[in-house]
Amino acid sequence: MSIDVKGLVHVYHPGTPLETKALDGVSFKAEKGSWVAVVGHTGSGKSTLAQHLNGLLLPTEGSVSVDGIEVRQGEGSLRKVRQKVGLVFQYPEQQLFEETVFKEVSFGPRNWGIPADTLKDRVEEALGLVGIGSDLYEANPFRLSGGQKRRVAIASVLSSGPDYLVLDEPTAGLDSPGRRQLLDLLSNLKALGRGIIHITHDMELALGLADMILVLDEGRSSLWGRPDIILGELIERDVRGLVIPDMVRFAGRLRDLGFEVPLTWEPPVLAEAIYRSQGR
Amino acid sequence: MRFLNNMTLGQYVPVESLVHHLDPRCKIVGVLFCLVGVFMVKGPLGFLMWGLLFLLLVSASRVPARLVLSTVRPVWILVAFTAVIHLFFTRGEPLFSWGIVEITREGAVMAARMGLRLVLLVMYAGLLTLTTSPTELADGLESLFSPFRRFGFPAHELAMMMTIALRFIPTLLNETERIMKAQIARGAELERGGPLRRLRAFIPVLVPLFVIVFQRADDLATAMEARNYTGGEGRSRMHPLKWSVRDTTALLFSVIFSFAAVFLDGRALLP
Ligand SMILES: Nc1ncnc2c1ncn2[C@@H]1O[C@H](COP(=O)(O)OP(=O)(O)OP(=O)(O)O)[C@@H](O)[C@H]1O
Ligand SMILES: [Mg+2]
Repeated sequence: MSIDVKGLVHVYHPGTPLETKALDGVSFKAEKGSWVAVVGHTGSGKSTLAQHLNGLLLPTEGSVSVDGIEVRQGEGSLRKVRQKVGLVFQYPEQQLFEETVFKEVSFGPRNWGIPADTLKDRVEEALGLVGIGSDLYEANPFRLSGGQKRRVAIASVLSSGPDYLVLDEPTAGLDSPGRRQLLDLLSNLKALGRGIIHITHDMELALGLADMILVLDEGRSSLWGRPDIILGELIERDVRGLVIPDMVRFAGRLRDLGFEVPLTWEPPVLAEAIYRSQGR
Repeated sequence: MRFLNNMTLGQYVPVESLVHHLDPRCKIVGVLFCLVGVFMVKGPLGFLMWGLLFLLLVSASRVPARLVLSTVRPVWILVAFTAVIHLFFTRGEPLFSWGIVEITREGAVMAARMGLRLVLLVMYAGLLTLTTSPTELADGLESLFSPFRRFGFPAHELAMMMTIALRFIPTLLNETERIMKAQIARGAELERGGPLRRLRAFIPVLVPLFVIVFQRADDLATAMEARNYTGGEGRSRMHPLKWSVRDTTALLFSVIFSFAAVFLDGRALLP
């Protein structure tokens, strides 16, 4: 079970003066139950890629398939795919429109025709996952704090029960506890067997959390692999728009100075390695 | 799925040409004379003159003919409807009849006249917006209406509103597209069912859009105030309008041409 992207090309406004090739031969595979991070500079095509994964945009060339269903126009294939792949846009709180939190979160399931008797469970489960308590079910979504709005918006995607969750810069504009909570939620979802596709420009997050990393550069997939491999590549050569995390630079300098420490982005691991290399 | 991708609004074509470089006030007033002139001709000579002048202007403006023709697209149904109404419902000398349907000589003439007139009107007005940027247009209107300020007419405010509205149309189209996509991703079906159902389906798009619009308006007001905007009084311009000999010539030409067209056309129709 996976999302398979093969040789994906996307051209905006073909045949007009505005023609832009946003994606140019991108291939990767996102397995269910795994976490894929997509990183790249501004304008590298991350958001364009995200919109292909649930058929909001269709490939100009190449193919996208979700659990074997090819994403293309017609035959209800798009609706099937959209129910399987939940997409959380950047600043998802801007799409809220209902009068109460509960109604907002039940919008998706109602659209997918989920029967009324299971609807309530679905909504409560989704809100529970994002940590919104029953005291807020009847609250007006517009009156919530920014972080709460974000969580309600994410719950409103989760309530449709997607197998994959694509999130476009989900941590943008959150404070650090909010960020932490959100990332924990994504880890939980992954543990529950959902596939996570996390678009971010934060290399440290990607290295620390993802099982696989896709690096986009000018619409091409310039790197694709496990975090440690990607890190090795990043140290070897410059990739536009990506910076090596401070902790890795710190570890690298220690190695230059003769310490036997691994190139790691995790402070505790590095601390332990330094402690051990002191021979104590 | 096409969303709003193919919508081009503010159809200004930025190329360098004689017509583009005319003062917007000259173009606005000139076009007004032409519109009145087009409205007043009745016979073939008049329409021929206006048609030829239009071809001349289009070639001088260096705007692709395809774009000029596309200005008629939004109104062609209206044109066809008007022509058909006149064709079938004008009394007079019958040309031929077919059951209860009867086409008269007068009807055919009226249909051709009204159709041509509408098409020419739209195309002349279209040429103005094709060759004049929205900012120039607003500046021109502001300057033309400024004499009425003394009677309390808000010339500057209206021009500013027009500029802002035009500036924000593309932004709002983008926002609309983004919200539509977000709701479609949550399973909304925006394109199914009858008109009432579609209207209801758009509530999830309209509500967030309103929220965003009000936020934008608020931000813009703050930004303008932070830059010390206090209205039109004493405000200078980055590109002051400059009236030159060329503009006088062009305006005189359009006035004389309009009178000539109407006069010659009227004479040609005399028995
Ligand atoms: N609706 C659109 N119409 C035309 N061009 C577009 C559209 N959306 C994106 N593009 C272009 O496609 C390219 C990739 O854009 P995209 O938004 O996918 O990049 P991104 O990696 O998400 O950038 P960011 O990190 O800034 O969000 C850019 O050159 C952009 O200008
Ligand atoms: Mg983006």
